[in-house]
Amino acid sequence: MQLLQKFKRGSGSKSHAKYAYTVSRVRAMKSKLLPKETYPRLMNMSIDEIARFIGESGYTEDVDELALRFEGVDLIEHSLNRNLSVTFRKLLNISEGEVNFLIAEYLKEYDIWNIKTILRGKYCKASTKEIQEALVAGGSLTYTLLSGLATKESYEEVVSEFEGTEYYPILEKYDGTNLSDIENLLDKLYYAGLFALAGSSKSKDRKLFAKFIRAGIDIKNLMILFRLKKAGITDPDMIKLMIEGGLEIKFKDIQRMMSLSFGEFIEELNKYSYWEEISDIVSSDMQSLIHVETRLKKYRLKSASSFSHVYPLSIVPIMDYILTKQNEVNNLRIIVRGKEANLSDEIIREQLVI
Amino acid sequence: MVTEAVTMADPAGLKAIGAALAVGLTGLASAYAERDIGAAAIGAMAENEGLFGKGLILTVIPETIVIFGLVVAILML
Repeated sequence: MQLLQKFKRGSGSKSHAKYAYTVSRVRAMKSKLLPKETYPRLMNMSIDEIARFIGESGYTEDVDELALRFEGVDLIEHSLNRNLSVTFRKLLNISEGEVNFLIAEYLKEYDIWNIKTILRGKYCKASTKEIQEALVAGGSLTYTLLSGLATKESYEEVVSEFEGTEYYPILEKYDGTNLSDIENLLDKLYYAGLFALAGSSKSKDRKLFAKFIRAGIDIKNLMILFRLKKAGITDPDMIKLMIEGGLEIKFKDIQRMMSLSFGEFIEELNKYSYWEEISDIVSSDMQSLIHVETRLKKYRLKSASSFSHVYPLSIVPIMDYILTKQNEVNNLRIIVRGKEANLSDEIIREQLVI
Repeated sequence: MVTEAVTMADPAGLKAIGAALAVGLTGLASAYAERDIGAAAIGAMAENEGLFGKGLILTVIPETIVIFGLVVAILML
């Protein structure tokens, strides 16, 4: 009888079939991303050649559509942005139910990014066109809505448009000067939303989702800590920059680390599993943090990918794809912007996360 | 005079029920197994049409379960 009820409700088993469809599509999409070997080849190309190359690979539609309006670096930049938003919208379209809900929550990152972009644009009096070009409509707010917001005259009008949404209580505190506080609050709202989802439920998917997010927070916190310590900042007030809820590095550990010097901080890191990844390049007299940051990002991608093999029919492969896609776009952007600024190949190569 | 009613199941009927169970249950089992594979195959095909052949073959592999059921049913009858 219980079995029959379970069939009727379709709990658990039904979501599996949904995952099977979405995950296999996402895996196919992942196989279409640029392979590692492409990046050294791209390094040897000029900007126009790169534009042509990406126009012939996964970005055909985007480059074709924007080629009339932009050229060179701008064309590539806008094609990448457009592709990113089209891809993430596709993820929302090919998933349903719980999966769709979790992806949408995760992609709110872009909604917040866009709100920040518009507010920043209004703050420094950028033109409507400039703001519109910087938008990446990857989340649930559509491009039409966002570009409409960008045409508003003042920030008050933008804020009033958000009335009734979850962002409004934060945005209404904006008085034209405290932009950085508002940005911090928005970021915290994003993570609070993610944890509220994961904390209350006992479902396996949400637990995996939470674990994935927590691992990401660890990496973010580590990078902020490295930067703070390298700059010699030991002010305990800086704790407000940190994000709560890390997987391995708990908030009270971070609180303790806030007052340490760079050397002491590195010794403290010994305790965590991340140390194995970075131990060979970290020393108390290191000059640049670039290697550490790329190594940490690489570790994040690698662990997400292996995590997705452990749980093949779950939310994890989809999150893994989102991360890998973001990384591909970032890498392409680094190469193109580096070349435009005439940086040496060596410097560009250091920045790439492959 | 009281006559005792003798009730006895016909062996042919029991055999038929056994055969029906063998085919019916294995049919449900293979359907259950094919559901996920089918969904995944459709997903893969939506991205790359060339996977139609492979998807089809993988989808019908659990069909062997119902074939075993059918064989057992035929042997029984």
